[in-house]
Amino acid sequence: MTFTLVARCPKTGQMGVGIATYSICVGLYCNGLRANVGATMSQAFVNQGNNTLGLRLLAEGFSPTHVLDELKANDPDFAYRQIAVIDRDGRAAAYSGAKTRGWSGHKIGDGYVSMGNVLAGPDVVDAIATGYEKYADEAFERRLLRAIEAGRDAGGQVGNDGHLTERSAGLFVYGNHDHAELDLRVDLHDKAIDELRRAFEEYDLYRGYYRDRGKNPREAIPQYEFVTRLANREAAQ
Amino acid sequence: MTYSIIGRCPRTGRLGLGITTFSLAVGGRCEGLAANVGVCKTQAFPNRTNDPLGIKLMGQGYVPSRVMEMFAANDTEHDFRQIAIMDREGRIAAHTGSGTRGWSGHKIDADCVAFGNGLVGPQVLDGLIAGFTAKPDDALEYRLMRALEGGRDAGGQGDANSHRPERSAAIKVVDRLDYPDVDVRVDVHRTAVKELRRVLEEFKLYEEFYRERGRNPSKAIPQDVFVANLKKQRA
Repeated sequence: MTFTLVARCPKTGQMGVGIATYSICVGLYCNGLRANVGATMSQAFVNQGNNTLGLRLLAEGFSPTHVLDELKANDPDFAYRQIAVIDRDGRAAAYSGAKTRGWSGHKIGDGYVSMGNVLAGPDVVDAIATGYEKYADEAFERRLLRAIEAGRDAGGQVGNDGHLTERSAGLFVYGNHDHAELDLRVDLHDKAIDELRRAFEEYDLYRGYYRDRGKNPREAIPQYEFVTRLANREAAQ
Repeated sequence: MTYSIIGRCPRTGRLGLGITTFSLAVGGRCEGLAANVGVCKTQAFPNRTNDPLGIKLMGQGYVPSRVMEMFAANDTEHDFRQIAIMDREGRIAAHTGSGTRGWSGHKIDADCVAFGNGLVGPQVLDGLIAGFTAKPDDALEYRLMRALEGGRDAGGQGDANSHRPERSAAIKVVDRLDYPDVDVRVDVHRTAVKELRRVLEEFKLYEEFYRERGRNPSKAIPQDVFVANLKKQRA
């Protein structure tokens, strides 16, 4: 049970993942992003080695389709996995194993994959894709967040006893560097997507400040002063 | 302002990092851990390229003290960084630049480095180390957690006139695989260390279930059943 958007930003070339699930601490599994290489996400019954191997294969030059073939050949329990692979050109491949639980499926779009399992139905995967496509003018990370919010609003996850809340969620974006441009998580919460939105909006106010502080430490104001300015600006509005 | 600890479990060779700060989402800026290589963490005015570079250099065989020299040579603003490095054998290098703000320093003890800036004083480092060394037989993630709690209880961040709350916190531990064993986060919170303890304790209940579910999916029970069983055990 999880729903996810994996995408390459057509404007910037950034690679990203937006994800939410009933499982806790899902960010632990989101290690499949690398600048100028691609993105892979393995979920359902997660084989954690898939993301790291998938990235290495992409970096070797294999296509996403072939990467999936290799992951399949390497894993006797492949039928339990759900995987998306996208390369730096935006080519996408996806797989939803027959033994993943509940309603399980994916949708491949232009430079993205929306996918999930133990979902209310195919509407969720469609809504994730629509949520992503609909806000093409927004920043990439906002589009990822929109996508999983749309998945939530379309019914999200449904287990044996009905709707399952999102208990963890995450937003991950890689650009030109070998560290994340955005790596924001909610690990344990009753409404993890709502909380992720709250955390994102708060963190977004600080991102430029954090970046510049490291690059130009001599000119950086103390963070407490920055926070005071933020509060003053909010009060003035 | 931040206080952190990097550590190594001498029994297992696992490597880890515990960190908390007034800044938001600090765990999203901790990429300097690699199994069987080492740990590298740059903070204060962090240069984001240091940590991935440090891991690559240690992976090539450079020792932490040499990695630190290369950092200094590679960075015109090295004086504004605070850095701790430990390799898989437990060798350590640490640097607290003169441009870091507030009370700032580091302290090396058995299998760990405690380091921080914008702190109420050196007692915070003592608190970190006391927490880390209190139960040396515990799993590394618990030792790191106790360290952060020790740092918090010793006063944490601030100065004589004001205390700065911990708004984000994280613990990461790598073992033998190329992804972390433990990776728990609190990104935006008013009492992030307390919340991190809650997340860690909850995660530890699920850890084995999640791992086994991936390894032996045909034998895995559904998670809602697992959660119902957990609730029964608690009651």
